[in-house]
Amino acid sequence: MRETLVVFRRELQSYFLSPIAYVFGVLFLALQLLVAGLITLRQGGQASLQAFFGWLPFVLLLFLPGLTMRLWAEERKLGTLELLMTFPVRIQQLVFGKFLAAVTYLAVVLLFTLGLPLTLAAYGRLDWAPVPWGYLAALLMAGSYIAVGMFWSSMTRDQIVALLLALVSLLVLYALGYPGIIEWLGPQLSELTPFWARVAVVTMELLNGISPYKYFDSIARGVLDTRDLVYYACFCGFFLYANALVLHGRRHKG
Amino acid sequence: MHTTTRRVDPAASQASGQRGSALQLTIHLVLLVLVLGQLVYLASRLRLRADLTSDRLWSLTQSTRDILARLDQRLLIEAYFSPKDKLPTQLRESRVVLDNFLDELVQLGKGKVVVQRFDPLADKAVADKCTRLGVKPIDMQTGTSSSISVDRHWQGLRLVYGGGKQKVLDQVGPQNSFLAEAILTPAIKEVATAQKRKFGFMEWPVQAAPGGQQAPSGIGWNLLRTHDAIAKRYEFQNFKDEEGALLPDDVDTLFLFRPKELTDRQKYVVDQFLMGGGTVVLFADAAEYQIGPRRSFTKVPFQLDAKDSQYKFLDQLQHYGIEWKPRILADLRMEAMRSNQPQEYFGVPQRTPWGQTVGQVFYPYFFHAVGGDWSKLADELATRNGHRDEDLAERYRRFRPGIDSEEFLFQAFKKIGRGPGFYWPTWVDLRRKPGAPDAVDLPVGITGKVMLWSSPEVLTEEPPQSLDPIGQGDGMAQTQQLTQFRNKLLERLSSEPRQQAPLMVEVQGEFPSFFAGKERPKRPAEIKEEEAKKAAAAAKAAADDGKPDEGKPDPNQPPAADPLAKTDPVGPPAPKTEDEADAAAQPVAPEAPQRERAVKPGRILAIGDADFVRDDLVRQDYAQSGGPVSVNGGGFFSMLLDWLAQDRELVELQSRVPTDRTLTLVQPSTATRQDPRVEEQKLRTTTQLLLAANIVLPCLLLIAFGFLVFLWRNAQKRAFLHSVQAD
Repeated sequence: MRETLVVFRRELQSYFLSPIAYVFGVLFLALQLLVAGLITLRQGGQASLQAFFGWLPFVLLLFLPGLTMRLWAEERKLGTLELLMTFPVRIQQLVFGKFLAAVTYLAVVLLFTLGLPLTLAAYGRLDWAPVPWGYLAALLMAGSYIAVGMFWSSMTRDQIVALLLALVSLLVLYALGYPGIIEWLGPQLSELTPFWARVAVVTMELLNGISPYKYFDSIARGVLDTRDLVYYACFCGFFLYANALVLHGRRHKG
Repeated sequence: MHTTTRRVDPAASQASGQRGSALQLTIHLVLLVLVLGQLVYLASRLRLRADLTSDRLWSLTQSTRDILARLDQRLLIEAYFSPKDKLPTQLRESRVVLDNFLDELVQLGKGKVVVQRFDPLADKAVADKCTRLGVKPIDMQTGTSSSISVDRHWQGLRLVYGGGKQKVLDQVGPQNSFLAEAILTPAIKEVATAQKRKFGFMEWPVQAAPGGQQAPSGIGWNLLRTHDAIAKRYEFQNFKDEEGALLPDDVDTLFLFRPKELTDRQKYVVDQFLMGGGTVVLFADAAEYQIGPRRSFTKVPFQLDAKDSQYKFLDQLQHYGIEWKPRILADLRMEAMRSNQPQEYFGVPQRTPWGQTVGQVFYPYFFHAVGGDWSKLADELATRNGHRDEDLAERYRRFRPGIDSEEFLFQAFKKIGRGPGFYWPTWVDLRRKPGAPDAVDLPVGITGKVMLWSSPEVLTEEPPQSLDPIGQGDGMAQTQQLTQFRNKLLERLSSEPRQQAPLMVEVQGEFPSFFAGKERPKRPAEIKEEEAKKAAAAAKAAADDGKPDEGKPDPNQPPAADPLAKTDPVGPPAPKTEDEADAAAQPVAPEAPQRERAVKPGRILAIGDADFVRDDLVRQDYAQSGGPVSVNGGGFFSMLLDWLAQDRELVELQSRVPTDRTLTLVQPSTATRQDPRVEEQKLRTTTQLLLAANIVLPCLLLIAFGFLVFLWRNAQKRAFLHSVQAD
């Protein structure tokens, strides 16, 4: 645990000492708050963070691969990964420390969005009860994105490739959980032979079940469901474990 | 011994090692996916869920739980659903809601609720059964890159209770759990309840406006009464029959919808109904207005009492403790006539850069009770030109809250801070002592309360012949006309003391009969019988007297009293038909003896408006042109029925509205004289400021935070360099 904390502190420091993190933070805040503000802040609108949390998964999807692409790829490119491997730290602790630091960084950035609920509460009757759970859902969602991004970052030396791989895989995962996509795919699949159409439907349902987007909605609207929490824990756990396995492989390869 | 030494190729060995580790990695990950997949599956089967919203937006109410707990037989719910993956988005959302709702029903039903799912698309026999039962398919058009097709979807339910009573919901598509519950729980209650509650009503036809016009349509109240959501729970029977029969015992509530031309007999029927412990609900209107093109309102004339009526209905109501002043009310307080849904009141379509919108028009004859406590405004209202009139302020401190009742009927309205919208309402109050407006003077044993009040800025007036606030001219002319209309009312307001108008009252107890000590008004058949007897007696007397010439009338004899007896002043009386002869021969059945005092406590509920339930407003006939539209009228009426039936569960379901979370960036001006453009400008500025503050401020804060970190880091570096240099 102590080792994890050491890695976490080092990573977190590196975030806040780098100007890129601020550029990222400002761009993220500007886009997210602009979209949510334009939808929400109007006379007769609803004092609710529905628009804010509704757009958050998509905005996170655009920004987080940029944050995670450097996590391992940069270490490999600079040759510091080998140095890291020589530290008396287990790979799992390294992975988890970095993951926690990225999530904490994002939590700090999200703190700067608290002005929006405060404004809504000042001008309407905001239901505060689901707000913390909305932020928790946002962190869980971000955690799952970060885990995926970290995994791809560990697979390649090139940050741009890591960024693209993370972006594409997250887009696919996002799309699979989005009902409109399934509806659009449905008629296309029906043109296949019945067997393959059935296989495609089952696969789509399975993939739909994998998408983090599907589990975000209920927590964000204030319903805490053990299924969603278990899902996020499993999703993050899987990608972090895969990440650790990849790094193990690299250590053994020397 | 010959030994051979195999040389191992390092490259091949490395490749093999890589393959091995890749395989190992893959196996690891596949196993992990399987384990985690199982875990997620188990978690989704054994779910624990907590609804953390303060309105419990995503949970079933106690009402549904109570209804389920009372089921003593099995409730079978047959769900005729086509597969989820074939549904379009809008139905897919509702399917999720429905599935969740049905799952919760099964869970809460504790074995008494069984859900069976059928797929009509997979089995033709099931589809045929759907058609037989009345479950309707939903045909929706879908398109691919190469074709357009119409797909058939099914989403209907059949509820069977105890193998007997059943109910079919042909198409169900609730967009949220709220609506799912509002649709399904009453249906469950309907099948699980023995019989429908019966209500009686009396309504009077609308007459034509002067000038030879046709009688206006849409002023009746058929639409709500026959609406499926109400008709499935309650049965309405018209008792305004020409025979003037007393109401049967199985009716305990009688609605008087905009009473007019009331005969004494009808008043007697109402009185005797009250004496028997009935509940009378009066929808009172001081005037009937026909809505013409471009919102011109023309009064359709009517009299409250029939021409030959001996007793006045207003006196009868006063006898029971209700004082109805048949004048119309105008509430000039902006909160009372402003609505989040402008069409609920009165608007004029306007073209804006964002498209066509409806701008609300000052029209104080359409308003609602405001939820707040008006006594808090006493000092403000009693202050004129900077001077406060203490006597007036003291009087105004006795003002009542707009919704002055704790009844569960008003639960939802209290939540949204406003009562139902009324249209040209009238003053209905408790009987008060003459000269003492604060002293209620109810008959002995009667209790009463005012449930809804207007704001203290109300005016009363005789219903004008025509109300045309915006006129028929162009935009400029309309604005001028509206300004004149407004100024006229404001001048009146400033010259009169403030008062609140009561809009809805309830009195209950053992009422004294209005007809006690009076002659009982006879039924038309009785009158006819009497007249026939008189005519017969006269004829007999004439015969006994021995007329010299039967073919000619005696010039000294008055004409026959019976108008129905077709007498010919010149010729002999027309011979009676067989039916008439039978009718005259059959004596009219005697009716129950007159009750001079109540045998059971009764109740009168008087609402100072009948227009909120009128068909054209409920049907939203004028929605496109800016209203008026009675948005809350249907809901209020439905809740009123449940409240009268003391069906708290259904009222709770219907009144389960989310807390009003509407953003008010700029408080609407309460000053009636403010130019609306000033308010618009203020709103635009505030919105832009808030938007800028919410976007720019967090970004600046983050940059400032970064700058502080940078300074701190530099200071650290400098300190380090100093220490190195010092060493």
